[in-house]
Amino acid sequence: MNTQTSLLQKALSNPLSLAGFIIIVCVFVLSMLAPIVAPYDPNYIDVKAILLEPSIQHWMGTDGLGRDVLSRMLYGGRISLLVGLVAVGISTAIGILLGALAGFYRGWVDTLIMRIVDVMLSIPSFFLILAVIAFLTPSIINIMIVIGLTSWMGVTRLVRAEFLSLSEREFVMASRTLGAKNSRLIFTHLLPNSLTPIIVSAVLGVAGAVLMESGLSFLGLGVQAPQASWGNILTDGKEYIQFAWWLSLFPGLAILITVLGYNLLGEGLRDALDPRSGTNH
Amino acid sequence: MFKYLIKRVLWMIPMLIGISLISFFIMHLAPGDITNNEASFNPKASEESRQKLREMYNLDKPIIVQYGLWLKRMMTLDFGKSFASHQKPVFWQTTDADGNVTEGLIQQALPITLMINLLGLTITLSLAIPLGIIAARKYQGWQDRSITLFNFIGFSIPGFWLSLLLMYWLGVVNNWFPISGMHSLNYDSLDTWDKIKDTFSHLFLPVVIPSITGLAGITLFVKNGMLDVLQQDYITTARAKGLGEHKVVYTHALRNALLPLITIIGLSIPGLIGGSVIAETIFAIPGMGKLFYDAVLMRDFPVVMGILTIGSALTLVGNLLADVAYAWADPRVRRGVAKA
Amino acid sequence: MSPLLLNLNTAICLSLTLLVAGCNAPNEKQYQIDYTTQFPQVSGGTLINAMTGEPSGLISMIAGESASSAISSNIFNSLLKYDKNLELEGDLVAHWEISTDQKTITFKLKPNLKWADNNPLTSADVLFTWQAVTNEKNASPYASDFLLVKKAETPDAQTFRVTYEQAYAPALDSWAGLQILPKHLLEGKDLHTTAFARKPIGSHYYQLDSWKHGEHLKLSKNANSVLGPAQIDNLVTRIIPDNSAQFLELMADNIDLMGLDPIKYSRIIPARPELQKKLALYKELGNSYTYMGFNLKHKPFDDVRVRRAINYAIDKQEIIDGVYLGLGINIASPYKPGTRWSNPALTPYPYDPAKARSLLKEAGFTDSNGDGILERDGKPFSFEIITNQNKEREKSAVLIQRRLKEVGIDVQIRAIEWASFISRFIKTGDFDVVVLGWGLGLDPDQYNIWHSSQQAPGQFNFIGYNNPKVDKLLEQGRLELNPDRRMEVYHQFSATLLEDSPIIYLSAGYGLTAIHKRVKGIDDPAPPAGIGHNSQDWYIPKSLRRNEISAH
Repeated sequence: MNTQTSLLQKALSNPLSLAGFIIIVCVFVLSMLAPIVAPYDPNYIDVKAILLEPSIQHWMGTDGLGRDVLSRMLYGGRISLLVGLVAVGISTAIGILLGALAGFYRGWVDTLIMRIVDVMLSIPSFFLILAVIAFLTPSIINIMIVIGLTSWMGVTRLVRAEFLSLSEREFVMASRTLGAKNSRLIFTHLLPNSLTPIIVSAVLGVAGAVLMESGLSFLGLGVQAPQASWGNILTDGKEYIQFAWWLSLFPGLAILITVLGYNLLGEGLRDALDPRSGTNH
Repeated sequence: MFKYLIKRVLWMIPMLIGISLISFFIMHLAPGDITNNEASFNPKASEESRQKLREMYNLDKPIIVQYGLWLKRMMTLDFGKSFASHQKPVFWQTTDADGNVTEGLIQQALPITLMINLLGLTITLSLAIPLGIIAARKYQGWQDRSITLFNFIGFSIPGFWLSLLLMYWLGVVNNWFPISGMHSLNYDSLDTWDKIKDTFSHLFLPVVIPSITGLAGITLFVKNGMLDVLQQDYITTARAKGLGEHKVVYTHALRNALLPLITIIGLSIPGLIGGSVIAETIFAIPGMGKLFYDAVLMRDFPVVMGILTIGSALTLVGNLLADVAYAWADPRVRRGVAKA
Repeated sequence: MSPLLLNLNTAICLSLTLLVAGCNAPNEKQYQIDYTTQFPQVSGGTLINAMTGEPSGLISMIAGESASSAISSNIFNSLLKYDKNLELEGDLVAHWEISTDQKTITFKLKPNLKWADNNPLTSADVLFTWQAVTNEKNASPYASDFLLVKKAETPDAQTFRVTYEQAYAPALDSWAGLQILPKHLLEGKDLHTTAFARKPIGSHYYQLDSWKHGEHLKLSKNANSVLGPAQIDNLVTRIIPDNSAQFLELMADNIDLMGLDPIKYSRIIPARPELQKKLALYKELGNSYTYMGFNLKHKPFDDVRVRRAINYAIDKQEIIDGVYLGLGINIASPYKPGTRWSNPALTPYPYDPAKARSLLKEAGFTDSNGDGILERDGKPFSFEIITNQNKEREKSAVLIQRRLKEVGIDVQIRAIEWASFISRFIKTGDFDVVVLGWGLGLDPDQYNIWHSSQQAPGQFNFIGYNNPKVDKLLEQGRLELNPDRRMEVYHQFSATLLEDSPIIYLSAGYGLTAIHKRVKGIDDPAPPAGIGHNSQDWYIPKSLRRNEISAH
């Protein structure tokens, strides 16, 4: 696991990636601590206090039902991050499995899997996601699963390529000749050594999934109210974007900053991984 | 080269079947049917008329039979008729006995989406290539970092939010650009030059905003490509031969760094088509994305299946063209050392 | 570190500038026009409207959607129409007669009626339209009313006569809703695919001038209009799917009218002088209401005490004030307040949590484990409210959730996209409680919604209401043509319904519209039939028309 740690250190020497890392940590901690730091119950209604501008009492103002926007943002962040992380978890798991199969067994298994990858890559994935979520009824679980099921192709290719190149390396050839079992080969040699690029792609994947949820919310197919997510808070607020600006500005910035954080860190990691910047990978 | 081409074309057949399977069976995930659209929630509509609709569209046949019937028709590019009450052809126009032409839904929508995406791609490329070169040449300098940051900000903004902000700022407050739609109401009475201006101003926001959000990927690609190429031996040789840095970058390195871009553009087609849903909805543009979204919400299965299939087939064709172009440009591939 | 923060700050400032700049920069040219001065009434000009969806065709009996009838009602006439006080009057018809056995209606057309293409409009066209709407092949969603006609005949070119199996009180209302189509253009054609649906020829004030797919429909004055000329020359309807974009277009003066939600109506526009200066706001009580309905086949909603308890536990005024910002009315019957069908003797259930608690106790619910949630037979009282993606309904559900929690009922809420909502939950009966709305016709007949025979999947009595007394009243109401006796029937029906509480009326909401002040001749306050009843008399003074403004 030493490679990963040194990789992170290396990535964090880049100010942009460091900023990304800090953003991710802050957003994560704030969302997890939502029950403690949120000033109000996110679902507490006060019809006497609807659409209040940001003030000392309500840092981010109140929404159309007098609910505290800051509190809803904090709780909504949990949902948005959950969607992102689980979706990426699913796609990464599928990607590792299929990529490992293809890269390890090669031959027709490889051909079949890579053709499936090609088919999936040629279908406009947003169309696929829209159709499946609409037909299955939008819910947090469905959204996570569908995003996961439609975004595993990149990881698959990555893992396959990694396996193919590692198989040529001496230490793998050696264990193979020594009669190591397939599972041992995969789990002790191949997988751990392909982990870094997988992590990079997972970090970038979270960014994509958070953004995807907001797009789905805009189309009415995201996380459903009254459950708050950044995507649906932003969608609710878009109607009043010029007037009750706080309803859309804060969720918009939250998505922007979080997605930016994941992208910067992911990119920094990828850069650090790249041989041209002189890593000892 | 010819053999390579034949092989690539033949590979498309199993892929098309795979695509058709996926798009067909996805439609049958839900028990919803045509009679569930909004129109049926009218106190005066009766169950009998719903039943009639169901029979009319064979929705009661087994799925396998439906797939068979559909695949058979798809071979002849017959994607059927929309479930909507107008029953327009999904793909291409038909002419009735009186010579009235009914245009196909995809026929109407596809050129619009293609035009917007091609314009967008042009803008993206014309910004991304110079930005990528600068970033590569000033690698890890402040130029590189600000380009990366700027690109990622564009990439990380929810597109519809940015669109609404810019629509308000440029369309309402400053009145510089039309807010939504494709043409002015008096478009038909304008002369050619004004028509061009009118179309340009209407398409400005819907073309530029997605280009900004799509900038990051291509810029990075160009940057990394340049970085790779600049470290290659022949560049070092060129430098050693005393060629000017300018010449090295723009004649030798750029050409080779841009080659893989062809493949990337081919691969980005499905994203461009799919990503058009939100932009077309917000800017009131009757393209493929809007058509697909409406069809999904109305459970208009023939249109959903038709767009998935045609959109994917277009991607295959796009990839094929990209590969052929790449092969044509890169002698190593031409000689048959092609990648899978 | 520092470059990042700097750039992020710039990004935030940029967004803020966009918003703040917007808040302070009114559209200057608008300030130069005073819309309140008197202008001479001259016909001409163009009125621009917007819709979120494009009509699938302009034969509304086939399209069966509001987008279609909104446009086609400017192109086609019906036999009858409602006047500004919602009384029936002739549209194509000069007068009509009902036989003494109340089974036959004879319509006499006005003389010399013409289609826009100069062909005569006769009773043969009416007969053709009736045949079309009842033809199975056309699968019209409006067929059921007209299938009750046993015999339709045309004794002469001016006369159309229908005979019903038995007296059918909603008959006249149904004829007021059926747009008459030209036989000479449609005979023998497939009404679904005919090009006529995109190039219609009608008889009303306007005819279709052009239809740019996905962009706009333009109507222009019909010189042969059977009711005389309209004032405004052109009606343009733009297709703008996104509501926020539509509102931006309204602000930028590119459309003339738009339906509003309560927040835009009472908070946003009044707070912005430049909008207030150019937009006039109208409200009219619609023929619709929002309700919370129980699935009566699920326990414990089969128990009337439970339904009443929940009715007492919900503060309807709070919903009207908080969600509709006061723009709603607390109702006690499923009819528009103020009309003759609405029973004035009924009063809504008051907000009375104490009474709710005692009724729940009576029904066997107690909080035996002290967790704040009531139980019966060891099972907590918990259910899910589902609603479609309608902001007002979602918010109402949230308020209901809180009030029910106070009496010890645990409620979850789900808002679901419309098609899934109908197909997965309503049609399968797989729901506990819905928050929905009914938009109703002008006839008081609500057989489809409440009669026990209307419970099959896809029918409108999806809550499973079954009360023999109500069934009988509904059947009686369809047969009774005397307005006073009919009123009595529906008053009784409403009273029974209120007592039974199968649904809880949340609010009868107002229809809210903003119309640009350049449009004159609009009745304010709205008459019972709504502001649109005299849209043919609306006019746009010459100096206020768009071209003139841009020429300034």
